[in-house]
Amino acid sequence: MTAISDAARPRLAKGVRLQSDSATGKSVLLFPEGIVELNETAQEILIRCDGRTVSEIVRALAEEYDADLAALATDVRETLADLQQRRLIELT
Amino acid sequence: MTAPRPYALLAEITYRCPLHCPYCSNPAVESAVLSGEHARQPSNALRTAHATASNGELTTDEWSRVIREAAALGVLQIGFSGGEPVARRDLADLVRAAREANLYTNLITSGIGLDDERVRALREAGLDSVQLSFQSDQSDLSDEIAGARAHQHKLDIAAKIRAAGIPLNLNFVIHRRNIDRLAQMIELTEALGAERVELANVQFYGWAFLNRVALFPTREQVIRAREIATAAKARLAGKIDIFYVLPDYYETRPKPCLNGWGQRYLTVNPVGDVLPCPTASSAIPDLRFENVRTCALDWIWRESESFNRFRGTEWMPEPCRSCPQREIDFGGCRCQAALITGNAANTDPVCEFSPNRARVDAVLHEVNSVSDHAHDWTYRVNPKVLHC
Repeated sequence: MTAISDAARPRLAKGVRLQSDSATGKSVLLFPEGIVELNETAQEILIRCDGRTVSEIVRALAEEYDADLAALATDVRETLADLQQRRLIELT
Repeated sequence: MTAPRPYALLAEITYRCPLHCPYCSNPAVESAVLSGEHARQPSNALRTAHATASNGELTTDEWSRVIREAAALGVLQIGFSGGEPVARRDLADLVRAAREANLYTNLITSGIGLDDERVRALREAGLDSVQLSFQSDQSDLSDEIAGARAHQHKLDIAAKIRAAGIPLNLNFVIHRRNIDRLAQMIELTEALGAERVELANVQFYGWAFLNRVALFPTREQVIRAREIATAAKARLAGKIDIFYVLPDYYETRPKPCLNGWGQRYLTVNPVGDVLPCPTASSAIPDLRFENVRTCALDWIWRESESFNRFRGTEWMPEPCRSCPQREIDFGGCRCQAALITGNAANTDPVCEFSPNRARVDAVLHEVNSVSDHAHDWTYRVNPKVLHC
C-alpha cells in the first residue's frame, strides 16, 4: 500500500454517495450494488473531503476534537488508505 | 420471526424487451404453455406474463408510492431492471421519484432505446449509475446471442453515458458460446472506460434453466476463464473492478443466495407482485406472493407468508439444520432447490452434503461429455396475451 501524502486531496470516487441512513442515523457510502456503513471516524473524515488536503483535514479535526495531531494523522491516513483500496475515494 | 430492514429494492418495471437472450432470468413462459391444467390454475409466472402483456404494469404513480414505501422501510438503493426498463417512457420520472426518496439509483439496461436525449433526461433526474449489458465483444456473436442487432448501438450508448458523466459499469453474461472470449471482453471494458465489470457466468433460472445444456460451459472453459479473470484483476487493480462469478454447479458449497431469504433484498415485478427474489415467481410455483396494489409494502416485508417461509434457520431440513455453515450460506438458493429437486425447502443441491447433489453432477457429466456444443437454444420471447 502506498503511503498517503499530506498534500493529497481526497474526494469520493465517481459514483459514490455519502448520506445519512435514516433507519440508524449513521452515515453510509452508497455505490453501485454496495453499501458501507461508516464508523464515526470515517464519517468525520469524509464530510471534510471537499477539496481540502490531508493535512488540512487533520488540522480541522484536531481543532474540532482537541485531539493529538500525530495520533490523529495516523488515524486519518489509515482510514483513507482503507477507503482508497476499496476504490471509494480518489486522491488527486 | 422479527424482520430485519431491507437495503435494496429491485424494481422490475417491465418484462418487455427488444432482445431475446436465451439466458434471461425472467419467467420463461410462452402462450403455448397455457393449456390443460395450467389454463385452469395459472401459476404466478403465467398470471404475471398475462397481466404484463395486457398492460397491467404498475403506473408511474403506483411505482412512486412503492418507492416511498420502500425508502420508509429502510431501503437505500434501487435497481431499475426488467425486461428492458428503458422500454418505459416514464423511466426518468421514476428515477426522480427515487432520488427524492434519497435512494441510490442504478439503471440495469441493454442500452436499447437510449439516445442522447434520454441519457440527458436520466442524468438530470439524478441517475447515479448505469450497468450496461453486453453479450460479447464482437458484433456477430453478440447479435446472434441477443437475437437482435444491438452490439453497435451498445458501443455508441456506452460513449454517450460516459460523455454525460454517469458512472458506467459493464455486465457480460458468460456461457459456453462466449466464455472463450473473456480476455477480449476485458479489453472492451478498458476501451469503453468503464469503472467496473461483472463477468457473471449464467445462473440457471428462467430461460437459462430451459437452455441449460446449450449454455453450460465445460470445466476446462471455466478453469481457463478464472485464470484470465484473476490475471486481469491483478493487472487492472485500482483502475477497473473486476467481478468474476463462477457457475455455481461447479462449486461444492452453495452461494449465500440473497444473504438469506427476506434479509436484505426485495423485488417488485412489473405487475406489483413483491418477491423475495426475482426468480421466485417462476421457480417456486406453490408460493403465493402479495401485491402492492392490495397490501402495504411494510406488511408484505414483515408479515407475509412468502417473505417468512424461508426467513432465518427454522425452516431448514438436515443437513442444513445442524450445519456450522447455516448462517454463512443460509442453505443456498431456494429457487435452485425448487428447480432441481422439486422442493424449495430442500438444501441447495449444489452443496456436497445435499442428498440431491447427484442431480447436479449428472448435468455436469452431460455437459462435459458432449464434445461440441451441438445444442440449440430457445430464444426468449416477450410475454404474449394468452388465449385459453
